[in-house]
Amino acid sequence: MDGRKALNRIIFYVGIVAVWQLIFILHVVPEQVIPSPYSVGSALAKGVSDGSLLYGTATSLWRLAVGLVIAIAAGMMVGIFIARFETANQMVGSLLLGLQSIPSVAWVPLAFLWFGKTDGGVIFVTVIGALFAVAMNTHSGIKNVSPSLIAAGKNMGASGIQLITDVIIPASFPHLISGFKQGWAYAWRGVISAEVIFAVLGLGSLMNVGTKENHISQVISVLLVIMMIGILVDGLLFKRLEKIVMSRWGPSS
Amino acid sequence: MTKLQAKNIVKHFDHNGNPVLALDGINLNVEEGDFVCLVGPSGCGKSTFLNIIAGLDKPDSGEILLNGKLISSPGPDRTMVFQEGALFPWLKVIDNVEFGLKIAGIPKEERRQISQRYLDMMQLTKFSDSYTYQLSTGMKQRVAIARALALDPEILLMDEPFAALDSQTRDLLLVELQLIWERTKKTIIFVTHNIAESVILGNRVAIFKHRPSKIKKEIVIDYRRPRLAEDENLLKYQHQIIQELKSEVIEQKKVSE
Repeated sequence: MDGRKALNRIIFYVGIVAVWQLIFILHVVPEQVIPSPYSVGSALAKGVSDGSLLYGTATSLWRLAVGLVIAIAAGMMVGIFIARFETANQMVGSLLLGLQSIPSVAWVPLAFLWFGKTDGGVIFVTVIGALFAVAMNTHSGIKNVSPSLIAAGKNMGASGIQLITDVIIPASFPHLISGFKQGWAYAWRGVISAEVIFAVLGLGSLMNVGTKENHISQVISVLLVIMMIGILVDGLLFKRLEKIVMSRWGPSS
Repeated sequence: MTKLQAKNIVKHFDHNGNPVLALDGINLNVEEGDFVCLVGPSGCGKSTFLNIIAGLDKPDSGEILLNGKLISSPGPDRTMVFQEGALFPWLKVIDNVEFGLKIAGIPKEERRQISQRYLDMMQLTKFSDSYTYQLSTGMKQRVAIARALALDPEILLMDEPFAALDSQTRDLLLVELQLIWERTKKTIIFVTHNIAESVILGNRVAIFKHRPSKIKKEIVIDYRRPRLAEDENLLKYQHQIIQELKSEVIEQKKVSE
């Protein structure tokens, strides 16, 4: 099964590169618009060998990690708070919904004005892009916890913080994961957006440099790296978390 | 010695903004080591009454005394076996059984010893590392019973725990529960709408009247144990309860018509 899956995937990617090469050979579009696979490949190789891509990746991932950790911690706290106190939810619920609907990139100007060309600015965009999605998902996850599980927890002596940490959070874990997943997607968009627009270093700023130097192969090679990181994070982190949930809750969830 | 005393418990439900009287002054005394079944038509408030004893629900008036002390909040001295089990899916069977012990801050080694004992009693040792979704409904209820007993409660509350089981599994657990009761000498309050079940299990059966609910009558079942589901001598007790409940069902119909 797994071998077959991998084979299908390889066939697909080889096919894409073949079509791409064909477009190049037949001069369907000029090279300045779509460069050859070879030229993008060598831009990738150059980026790796001179360290710029690796350093850029590390910088972006570091900003992502810091931002995401803050967003998850703060988002969960907000989500738990409004789930436990209905009055708080009535007050800030609609505001959170509105804030969640703002695309990460829309925070970039404010981040630039507040923090300037700093890591703090990029991290601000990352945090604010992900926080509300995490908070909303935490809230709905907690609201969806079966009342009988909470009753069972109380019945066995859990109350206050212990009821939250030992019953409510683990019970809403399947929901929390979708919140983290959404949060990560928004956070990653936030990092790259901020970097493209104002940051020094990072993958986004590499693309910015490529654009200024009219080096389209470099731009595309960075795009490929951003995409690969997306696939890796999903496969290494979220697929695993989902597997853990499935191994406990059962395949039905 | 009186273990539990319910004094004039009154509770209203909210029905589309109007308060409806659900429990109209329930009085019940349960002696230490007694096995009392609460039986009545569905919706008569017997589960609500059990939740009030557990401290999960608050009465509008009246009080619950456990060993003479007023009860106002949930606590591990009154553990409950819920109808749907209410096991924690993120924990293994053994960790489910140990949950309350962990909350109570009991060290790991001691927890293991206690949980092994109850897993063994409920014949669950083989399943201690399973997750709950892997268990049948009957197995889940065994875990729920083990979990409730592990806390060594003053009183064990059971809310229709066998309602979702197939009849063979239920018959088996009815016998097992009697053996466990004899072995642990626990005081048990068992809620059910199944008359046969109440007669097999209870030393006493308290019959609930339909809303507004009161205890209409208590019947003492003085018969040897373990009682089996197929024992015909239990039929006369069943018959008594059915007679009492029949008038309830008719009354209920009149109300709804």
